[in-house]
Amino acid sequence: MKSKFVFFSIIILLLFSNKILADDKALAGADFEYGQHLSGECVTCHNSTGLGQGIPKITGMNTAVFIKKILAYKTKEKDNAVMQMVADRLGEEEINSLALYLSKTK
Amino acid sequence: MAKITRRSFVGIMAASTTALSMPSIAFGALPRVVVIGGGAGGATAAKYIAKDSKGAVDVTLVEASKRYYTCFFSNLYLGDFRNYGSIGHNYYGLAVNHGVNMVHEWASSVNGAEKKVYLGSGATVSYDKLVISPGIDLKFNSVNGYSPEAQSIMPHAWKSGTQVQLLKNQVKGMKKGGTFVMVPPPNPYRCPPGPYERISMIAHQFKKTNPTAKIVVLDPKNKFSKQGLFMEGWQKHYPGMIEWISADTHGGIKKINTSTMEFETDLDTFKADAASVIPAQQAGRIAMNAGVNKGDWCPIVPASMQSQADENIYVLGDASIAKSMPKSGFSANSQAKVAANHIRGSLTGSKVFAPRFANTCWSLVATNDGIKVGANYDAKPDKINKTSGFISKTGEDSNLRKATYEESIGWYSGITSDMFS
Repeated sequence: MKSKFVFFSIIILLLFSNKILADDKALAGADFEYGQHLSGECVTCHNSTGLGQGIPKITGMNTAVFIKKILAYKTKEKDNAVMQMVADRLGEEEINSLALYLSKTK
Repeated sequence: MAKITRRSFVGIMAASTTALSMPSIAFGALPRVVVIGGGAGGATAAKYIAKDSKGAVDVTLVEASKRYYTCFFSNLYLGDFRNYGSIGHNYYGLAVNHGVNMVHEWASSVNGAEKKVYLGSGATVSYDKLVISPGIDLKFNSVNGYSPEAQSIMPHAWKSGTQVQLLKNQVKGMKKGGTFVMVPPPNPYRCPPGPYERISMIAHQFKKTNPTAKIVVLDPKNKFSKQGLFMEGWQKHYPGMIEWISADTHGGIKKINTSTMEFETDLDTFKADAASVIPAQQAGRIAMNAGVNKGDWCPIVPASMQSQADENIYVLGDASIAKSMPKSGFSANSQAKVAANHIRGSLTGSKVFAPRFANTCWSLVATNDGIKVGANYDAKPDKINKTSGFISKTGEDSNLRKATYEESIGWYSGITSDMFS
């Protein structure tokens, strides 16, 4: 009984760690330290406590959601002059690094 | 010989790893950074160096005030959109959350050769790297007849705090149908749209309680930041109340008389019932004492914000010549992060990333009528170079203007949290 439990636990852990690896692989060129550095630009406006009216909290954001939003500003589908300007100079490495860092920050 | 258990082995390993990776900690000699000035540049630099070095750098912030009132958003206090307490901040967060050593004193001079800062009390603080972010000093004699004494009669209110409270009382107490005269500063100065947002907020006060009052602006310039947007807003919200007179039109302010409240120009002599005079500006005195200025401001190396006069000194914010960035709190905060990354790299060997600068300035014209201007910058050898930018447009719809105002509220919350917590 006990060994069965351990066996299933290991399987679940393996599946879970594979999922994490898959997510990190998807973020080409992502670097946590670079993301942390770049995030300095975000937190001038985006309050990490999420208390700022008018500007949303971005820490703890899912990587895919973050990337989709930034790309929408980059292509000017989403309207906000400040964010369009911010997104404009972010390349793939920068976006992925930010996504990685912000997703792992409260 | 003592038996080495598994646990004690792990302990020894951990201790030796620490000693290898951070030798300065092991020998009790942390590299020291002193930051002079606890505003948008200094507070941010102190926080980021302390936070990101995780105890590997000793950071001391020298700031005379225990409670810091931001210059940005002081106009919103004038217009009753903020209370005074909401623009005041303390340094507990920097001390408690990041271990910044707070010294509430004036820095009186700097000896760059000995790497020492002398404090008002006579004490000295040694540094390996020094950050000077003192903001501005006012050149009172740049307006004939203005003086430190005159600032109680015609407040400049260009450093936040009691001057702004004084100005607000004078605006609210001005006689019905009276004339308020405003003299904006010549270029370059702190917060380019600031004087014009101030005019908007004073007009907003008058519209509520003194609707026949007039505002005369005697500008030493012929154009100003966001001019088209402000002019449009004044016409829309305060028709007939504000008369902006350019330098070419009035021919120059020859003299002001604080007893008779008269402003003498080539065009006419204007009599005020209340007034605000913002004189020309220069880098805060400590930058001059440190000898890192060239004239009124301090030249820097764009890629790092290091002084051109001393590689161990960094100058941030209003005091620096950071062309093409404007002198704003946002700019100072942005420059501080570039400097912090560079300082930490040079002291601990941490990674130094390519410098990236940004700025946005929001202004409030009337209730729910916000406008903004912003730009990205990178570092060229000879200047901080604008790479892209935007500005609000005239005729924008009211929903967008309301969203812009709300965004500015979010920004204030964000930047003050970034600086102080």
